[in-house]
Amino acid sequence: MTGALELHTEEKRDITLRVFRFNPQVDSKPYFDDYTIQIEKGITVLRSLNYIKEHVDASVSFRAFCQAGICGSCGMRINGISKLACTTQVWDELSKCREAGIIKIEPLRNMPLIKDLIVDMDPLVDKMKHYSNWIETRMPESEIGKKEFLVSEEEFRKYDKATDCILCASCVSECTILRAHKEYVSPAVLLKSYRMNVDTRDAIHDVRLGELVKDHGVWDCTHCYRCQETCVKHIPIMDAIHGIREDAIEVRGARDTSGAKHAEAFMEDIEKKGKLVEATLPIRTNGVAWTLQNLLPMAMKMIMKRRTPPPPPLVKPAKGMKKFRELFREMTEHVKAEQKSHKK
Amino acid sequence: MKRYAYYLSCINESMTKEVDRSIDLWQKDLGLEFVKLHESTCCGGSNLDYVSPKHFALVNGRNIALAEKLGLDLVVSCNTCLMTIRTAKKKLDESPELKQEVNELLKKEGLEYRGTSNVRHLLWVLAEDVGFEAIRQKVKVPLKNYRIAPFYGCHILRPSTVLGKDDPLEPSTLDMMIEALGGTTLPYEHKNRCCGFHTLLVAEEESLNVAAEALEEAIEIKADFIVTPCPLCHTVLDGYQAKALKHANIHSSIPVFHLSEMVGLALGYTEKQLGIKRHIVT
Repeated sequence: MTGALELHTEEKRDITLRVFRFNPQVDSKPYFDDYTIQIEKGITVLRSLNYIKEHVDASVSFRAFCQAGICGSCGMRINGISKLACTTQVWDELSKCREAGIIKIEPLRNMPLIKDLIVDMDPLVDKMKHYSNWIETRMPESEIGKKEFLVSEEEFRKYDKATDCILCASCVSECTILRAHKEYVSPAVLLKSYRMNVDTRDAIHDVRLGELVKDHGVWDCTHCYRCQETCVKHIPIMDAIHGIREDAIEVRGARDTSGAKHAEAFMEDIEKKGKLVEATLPIRTNGVAWTLQNLLPMAMKMIMKRRTPPPPPLVKPAKGMKKFRELFREMTEHVKAEQKSHKK
Repeated sequence: MKRYAYYLSCINESMTKEVDRSIDLWQKDLGLEFVKLHESTCCGGSNLDYVSPKHFALVNGRNIALAEKLGLDLVVSCNTCLMTIRTAKKKLDESPELKQEVNELLKKEGLEYRGTSNVRHLLWVLAEDVGFEAIRQKVKVPLKNYRIAPFYGCHILRPSTVLGKDDPLEPSTLDMMIEALGGTTLPYEHKNRCCGFHTLLVAEEESLNVAAEALEEAIEIKADFIVTPCPLCHTVLDGYQAKALKHANIHSSIPVFHLSEMVGLALGYTEKQLGIKRHIVT
């Protein structure tokens, strides 16, 4: 009780910011510097860093500009999680410290480090270029400047949230697959790509989609939801990723890529058996040769442990499957009718 | 006895049969009764929602309606099934039109999705309905000699708008479960991270890198085993372990247990009874 009361009335206290330091031109390896300063309740991490730079150690390097959560410059990892320093209250971080009273500040992950808390955004910008993250107008050149493009509210709603992105790269820093492979498209670029692809003013939808379904593209996302969970603007990034996938299957068909084939297999199996036929999933996704080459040694071990999924004829259909299949097919008719009316 | 409808996950019916087998062993010990829904179907494994959002709503509206017909909450022991079915529930609860469309079809099977049954993970039921204190009192063989790395997996935590039980970036329920069973839970950076399961067949190298990182840390912190509440995470961390560690040039190994097996061990069941000997890494 006393502790809580104290916390409530306490206005100032000594807090340590443990800051990641590395200057590749001088240092052989990264290290941390501890800066203990008196901080008032209500002060942000960015203001604390500014104070340190002005009064304690001018060599600490970080990017910052608007101080209001608009420009996206001050993305960094605070107590292990990527966020904006300017919208993060020091007081809110105290309960998240691994060591009491020590807030750990590190640069964003998954991007090359320039110095201290500054990372190189160029690889991200290059990906935005690669995936054409801009609108290429479908208005004939003769009409440009003479006519307006009108966008309905319904159309705008599809990408309204995506336009909130300020490119702070928190999602990029938190991405599981980017950490596993630096060529991966990355969540921010997928979000932008989705936003451009649903824009009715755009002329290069199919070209962009063609790039997105290639290796290191949209199908490589592992649905971990870290990007969405850490988005400083609360953008449902996974909805955008799923939106691209839905579009890819609709426009390019379900036999187009291993990702699409894999996803479609769920639909087929549910209709047939109500259960996933796992034994043939690798073959249906990647073909026989890939499966033999990649999974045979493991399959042998699994056979020894009697862990292999049953072959298709032995997968027991869900009880009451006949009736369920009728409902499932009726829903297919609903979807077809809807697509037809959309095309009209 | 507390009763629940129990969802049959595809993977627990095929590759990880030990999950349901171990739950069957101890459910009565903890005053729980799980009624298996043999009519339930595959949830779509976080894929059906974008292949066909309408079928996704129908399939999972039906899965929940089966539990509602019994007047019971639906309990799930696979993270991805949990996230998927809860996502469908959210969509149905937020859209009266979608709910009506689904119910028009379900009517033909004598079912109705009303939104009355909650969809819960086995871990949540143990933590909330049985309680850690009650579990502690039931423990016959405390796991006191074990240092355990808790691997939560993604879809019991994120998206928090759909899951919302644990802090998605700093979860604690599984840690508390380990402590209740007498074990030592280790600080484990990868506890809230991904296992790589969902890209195993489309981006294998990436998945192996993801899995290797989680395994490497558990080995480094000298955990006796990893425990996970998700059979998909288990499939990667156990089944693909040798491949992932070879890929990362790490010469070691670490056992991976299901939540249901860890509970079973503390309640006095043997490794053989629980199916632990079926694991690839033993």
